[in-house]
Amino acid sequence: MTLTETGESRINGYLFVLERSLGSFLPADVVRDAVREIESHVRERVASTDAMPNEREALERILAELGPPLRVAQAYSAERTIDEAVATGRVVPMLRAVWTLALRTFVGSAIATGLFSAYAAGIGFLAIAALKPIFPNNVGLIVRNGGPWQLGAQFPLPPGATVHGGYWIIPVSIACGVGVLVFAHTTTRHYLTAWGKRRRPEL
Amino acid sequence: MSHETWQEQLRRGSLDLAILLTVSDGPRYGLAIIQHLEAFTDLVVTEGTIYPILGRLTRDGLLSAEWVEGEAPHARKYYSLTRAGAKRLSTMKAEWRAFAEKIERLMASSERHAS
Repeated sequence: MTLTETGESRINGYLFVLERSLGSFLPADVVRDAVREIESHVRERVASTDAMPNEREALERILAELGPPLRVAQAYSAERTIDEAVATGRVVPMLRAVWTLALRTFVGSAIATGLFSAYAAGIGFLAIAALKPIFPNNVGLIVRNGGPWQLGAQFPLPPGATVHGGYWIIPVSIACGVGVLVFAHTTTRHYLTAWGKRRRPEL
Repeated sequence: MSHETWQEQLRRGSLDLAILLTVSDGPRYGLAIIQHLEAFTDLVVTEGTIYPILGRLTRDGLLSAEWVEGEAPHARKYYSLTRAGAKRLSTMKAEWRAFAEKIERLMASSERHAS
């Protein structure tokens, strides 16, 4: 089947959406290669297809079998996420990879719960350090009815609660926060590396 | 787990093996791999999702990929099994046969007891 201008526009539109979707998370050279391969697939299908009953229907059938561009991009995303996370060690790709694995297996979801909790705890410690100078009477070790009740912030303080400890809580919180975040990040990277190695052959 | 989820997991779990088997007798380009899979199985639901898997198998060193120009009006990307891929395929085939044999034995035993 030889395409008319309308048919060419339809293919170009499909490839444009695919390119834009892939470009949001893949390097440019990988996007170029992926789009070139998908275009080769479409051209091959078009060349071997009869334009009956009409070009539009034939082309739509080819593109439907290929899948919507966002669905194809999503499949690329699922396959690349873990590799990108291990290679770069960046926080966002790593969290995305942990989330992807959490959706696949029960063990993955249990590990993700632990890791996300550790990240949240680390951020919590750093938040205490940041808020203490601003709200000295609401942030710190909060004691209620004579016993320790909470390490954190309360707005307003509940009746019978007092904030103990001075500004020493700032360096302690920073140390704890950084320590917990480094631990969470290192553990996450080890986990993703181990998961990636399980797939790879012994080269 | 719903029946559809179970079927989907089976399909996904066997796609890597099916793709490696498809290129084991010589290099094939993407569409030829899909057509071969479609001829023998119903593993390909959405054609476009096969390409990311081919990309992953290539990054993992199981396949090698090469663009070939001039064979058709458009370039084709051919995939071949690497030495590591052949080794992995051999392991996967043995594991698949052993697994299928165990399940088959279990089903036969269950059917014997039921009758």
